[in-house]
Amino acid sequence: MREPLRTVQLEVNGAAYTVTVPVRKTLADVLREDLQLTGTHVGCEQGVCGACTVWLDGEPVRSCLLLAIQAAGHRVTTVEALGTVDRLHPVQEAFWENHGLQCGFCTPGILMTVVAFLREHPAPSRQQIREALAGHLCRCTGYQNIVRAVEDAARRLQARGT
Amino acid sequence: MKIEGTETLHAPRDRVWALLDDPQALASCTPGMQELRPTGPDEFEAVLSIGIAAVRGTYKGKLRITERTPPERYAVQVEGSSGAGFVRAVGVLELEDQGAQTGVRWSGEVQVGGALTLGSRMIPGIARMLAGQFFQCLDRKLQEGSA
Amino acid sequence: MKPPVFDYQDPASVEEALELLARHGAAAKVLAGGQSLMPLLNLRLARPEVVVDINRIDALDYLTEESGWLRVGARVRQRRLEREADVRRMVPLLAEAVRFVGHPQIRNRGTVCGSLAHADPAAELPAVAVAVGARLVARSRSGVREIPAEEFFTGPLTTALRPDELLAEARFPCTGPDWGWAFLEVSNRHGDYALCAVAAGVRAGDGRIQDARLAYAGAGPVPVRLREAEAALVEHSDLEEGIRAASAEARRVLQPDGDLHASSEFRRHLAAVLTARTVRLAWTRARTRSGGAHA
Repeated sequence: MREPLRTVQLEVNGAAYTVTVPVRKTLADVLREDLQLTGTHVGCEQGVCGACTVWLDGEPVRSCLLLAIQAAGHRVTTVEALGTVDRLHPVQEAFWENHGLQCGFCTPGILMTVVAFLREHPAPSRQQIREALAGHLCRCTGYQNIVRAVEDAARRLQARGT
Repeated sequence: MKIEGTETLHAPRDRVWALLDDPQALASCTPGMQELRPTGPDEFEAVLSIGIAAVRGTYKGKLRITERTPPERYAVQVEGSSGAGFVRAVGVLELEDQGAQTGVRWSGEVQVGGALTLGSRMIPGIARMLAGQFFQCLDRKLQEGSA
Repeated sequence: MKPPVFDYQDPASVEEALELLARHGAAAKVLAGGQSLMPLLNLRLARPEVVVDINRIDALDYLTEESGWLRVGARVRQRRLEREADVRRMVPLLAEAVRFVGHPQIRNRGTVCGSLAHADPAAELPAVAVAVGARLVARSRSGVREIPAEEFFTGPLTTALRPDELLAEARFPCTGPDWGWAFLEVSNRHGDYALCAVAAGVRAGDGRIQDARLAYAGAGPVPVRLREAEAALVEHSDLEEGIRAASAEARRVLQPDGDLHASSEFRRHLAAVLTARTVRLAWTRARTRSGGAHA
């Protein structure tokens, strides 16, 4: 069967990649399969669960609802850009300290949303945090520790003056 | 999901019944019907291209007439599947003699499976729309006298 | 699942897009924000032959006021409605309702016109369009036509758009300072599809409701405007009596389908309760002449 392909330049986490992919391939799949950036996870492929959340030009979006070729000309940021095992982002530290993850499947998406959220709301109320997290489904934690982690993250970022 | 409705067909009841008894007439009024092949007494194989807006699929399946009580009651059982899932439905038509017109009370139970379940909240509305199209077509045929 | 094979076109101009739609008609599907179409593609519930991506068309990216109308081009993301102060000032109901549209991640990409063209019966923006009397601008190679919101939505996921037409713009009338607006929704999870949502607007004058708008999402195959309930609000000089009558009317007239998430009876109950709450909120806002600002 004929499979239309396109060659595009993608900018992901500040690095340039040239890929030739089927036009119908989603950004989530290209990140994982073509760029080996498997931090972004694929859950529902309908935009409901949030596991695939990345930033497009700094704003959280569902990478499962973007065709990879649509990201050409934009800046894509994935969880890999937040921190490394040796140097966690303060938000990642907060999740670690507060047991805000168990299996970790939903976590990368949540981190991308939370970092962007705290950038816009540095001192959020608990209600605001819960509303900000409404676009993410977690099957393990029951969300309590995730909320605590976000509260803690906000404090850490404030303390750092970030 | 249960759905039901009432329609008025502008023809006396015996003509309406005759139309219901004509598989080809029914096929031509069924939205999206592409093929209707008899496979036995009161049994058919069908291929339908059905959907609304962008949500469209080709469904292959079976249709069985499970009850025929002329001139007042007619029941069918339909099941079909496509790549996107399956549909099972049971429909009952009750015809009321209103002289030159016939009142039709119809009811159905629809079950969907597969990817279609994600749209299950819209199934009743869609089914009603399709039923409306079906009855409007029957009414046109009756009024044209082509029954 | 993954999207089926399709031909992909990303025109840079409206003319090119209209040419593609004229050529392919119903075999083509417009891709704007993708928040409704991509799920359908991913699940293969939609199998267009051609996807016409309009995201390169800068000419469709405008959010401007003209002669008392807010003009929203097809590429405008839903997020702009909640971020731009002008929107709240001009069409407060839009700013109120957009908080309930999906989640921020959806709104960062999803478009206003896309939500309207998708016409989900439980969606918020179609109800807003009906409540304020928006006009939808459909363009095709053969011309332009403006469709009033109440004529635009014709069934579940179905609009008056022809296969060769692009919803190029949505126009919302700027509602005046003596109107107050409110939008409330009940859903399983914040951001989910509405089990029932109500858009209410009232115009205050001489200490009573002079004019009203009530539109419902999730209560039928299309957004429903209840003129009888609106009339009830205007008829009664006592606010609570008017609210009681309007809520009872909503409960009596609306016929939502029941499903796994909520029965028909519960949805009608929600409609009645939300009618009361939105009208009270809208009235307070009208009285304080704050339009639709957060109370």
